[in-house]
Amino acid sequence: MQSAFVLAIIIVVTFTLPYFQPHGIYAPAYTALGSHINALNVHTWAQQHGLTQSYFVRLLKYADQLIFHFNLGHSFKQSLSVNSIIALYVPRTVWLALSALIFTTVIAIPLGIFQASRRNTVIDYAATGTAFVLYAMPAFLLCILVIDAFGFHWPHLPISPPSGVAPWAIFTDPKAFILPVGCLTLLSVAGLSRFMRGTVLEVLVQDYVRTARAKGCSSRRVLWRHAFRNALGPIVTILGLSIPGLFGGALIIEDVFNYSGLGVQTINAAVTLDVPTVLGITVLVAVFTLLGNLMADVALGLIDPRIRIEGAR
Amino acid sequence: MTAISSESIHIGTEDAPVPMWRQRTKIFMANKLAIASCVYVIVLTLACFLVPHLHPTNQTNQAVAFGTPQNTAPSSHHWLGTDSSGYDVLGRIFFGGEYSLILGFLAGFITVVVGTLYGMISGFLGGVVDTAMMRLIDAFLSIPYLFLLITLITIFGRSTTFLIAIIGFTGWWGNARIIRGDALLIRNLDYAKASTSMGANKWHVIRRHVFPNSISNIVTVATFSVADAILFLSALGFLGLGIQTPETDWGTMLQSGTSQIQNGYWWEVFPVAVVFILIVVSINYIGDALRDAFEVRLLER
Repeated sequence: MQSAFVLAIIIVVTFTLPYFQPHGIYAPAYTALGSHINALNVHTWAQQHGLTQSYFVRLLKYADQLIFHFNLGHSFKQSLSVNSIIALYVPRTVWLALSALIFTTVIAIPLGIFQASRRNTVIDYAATGTAFVLYAMPAFLLCILVIDAFGFHWPHLPISPPSGVAPWAIFTDPKAFILPVGCLTLLSVAGLSRFMRGTVLEVLVQDYVRTARAKGCSSRRVLWRHAFRNALGPIVTILGLSIPGLFGGALIIEDVFNYSGLGVQTINAAVTLDVPTVLGITVLVAVFTLLGNLMADVALGLIDPRIRIEGAR
Repeated sequence: MTAISSESIHIGTEDAPVPMWRQRTKIFMANKLAIASCVYVIVLTLACFLVPHLHPTNQTNQAVAFGTPQNTAPSSHHWLGTDSSGYDVLGRIFFGGEYSLILGFLAGFITVVVGTLYGMISGFLGGVVDTAMMRLIDAFLSIPYLFLLITLITIFGRSTTFLIAIIGFTGWWGNARIIRGDALLIRNLDYAKASTSMGANKWHVIRRHVFPNSISNIVTVATFSVADAILFLSALGFLGLGIQTPETDWGTMLQSGTSQIQNGYWWEVFPVAVVFILIVVSINYIGDALRDAFEVRLLER
């Protein structure tokens, strides 16, 4: 119910934004028509793309098509529907983002716990310092340094994933994806491990941890049975929330590694004022995020029995 | 009577209780990294605003720049060499830094002000209004930030003012959430409730109780916001949507520098990269130290 409300806001906001550009929603006509620009041509073009109707009629039509027919309209620039553009490029980006998300979780959570348990040691300082530098480093800079290192100084890994739009490329040619997925992972590990370290530290000062230690639990058992399980909640929430960030990161990664996915499509569409494509992709990512949050909520219920009981009532 | 009571106070503690702000300053000062970060931020900011005037190098006149040798290695004449347009790199770091810092600080400031206002109002009013306001935040947060920035910049153009406005007015959602949590918490504390029950209106409670008590979080959020604004500006610079030539910013400099890295022109990338990473790390360290200083549990009781 609340997700539907959020989705409605997103649709209205993204739908309304193009009205504010110079020339309003007719702006794409000016770039499309080039030197043939005159009032009549603009009007014909607008009519062809169904832009002459009033704002509310268009909004209702768009929402109707989107909700009841899963139809996001037709691209202004490419002779494709937005649905087919998304179908072409989404798998590529999703595999990139998903594999990075998995690696991030697998690396960042143990790292955060390890750092928290070895607080203020050299290892902790080194890991925190590295995480800080990675966090502060613009994504593209890291990618380009990596490309430079592996492409020219130690050329043993392919620096660009295969072009074309085969969605399964990540499985048929995994070696080509080591660098892009690795970069995306490194960038997200920096933030997540820091968060994990903080959360575990907060849990470690709780009374039940002290009680467990007093009862004679080994510090390892306390760390994994007590601290880890109690720190999982915030981490799952953060993972659910990190989906838009992951797509944002993928945008830069795709651009640098010359991997044509959703991010590159968005930049192109935004620069060429291909409004339906930009809208469609934005709505899609928003839906992913909402699904991510929903899954995080469900997972939270599984991890934390207190939440499940509250939900059952 | 008075003499006895004053004497009995002095039995337990040797000195008068240390004021809270001094304890906080002490905790902050104990963090050597944070002090170093402060020094770095101040020195770099001063340098960015003063050096281009004290030791002017040509950074805007393309015709003159093309007269000077391009991509030259560091020498006594150009301490960090020249870039692909013939501009002096060291001078350009300060020149571009001016824009990066102004944009970062102003945009960060806007995100804090807007986020604080929104979060306070949402958290304080509570109920349906709060739910609606927070769902709006959820909606904005689920639009990938870079996508939104790109769309807005293509719509509104990229003059310096618009860049500040766009980053400023789109970066506050997370801040609003944090501040809202604070406001919600403080609203239900006894002193705020007491104030309300004595007939104080909502605005008074926000101004006198909620705002002063969440100032610590606001300051911490502010530092991180500035760092984030600088980072996002650099991402825009990389995508070619940053400050337009002949003006520049660190992101745009990094972008043009990295396109030369395969030729081995390291001086066009690494100096500005180090300056940039250090400023973002420093601002984050300061934020961390501030959070520690405001943490009540660390105060001497």
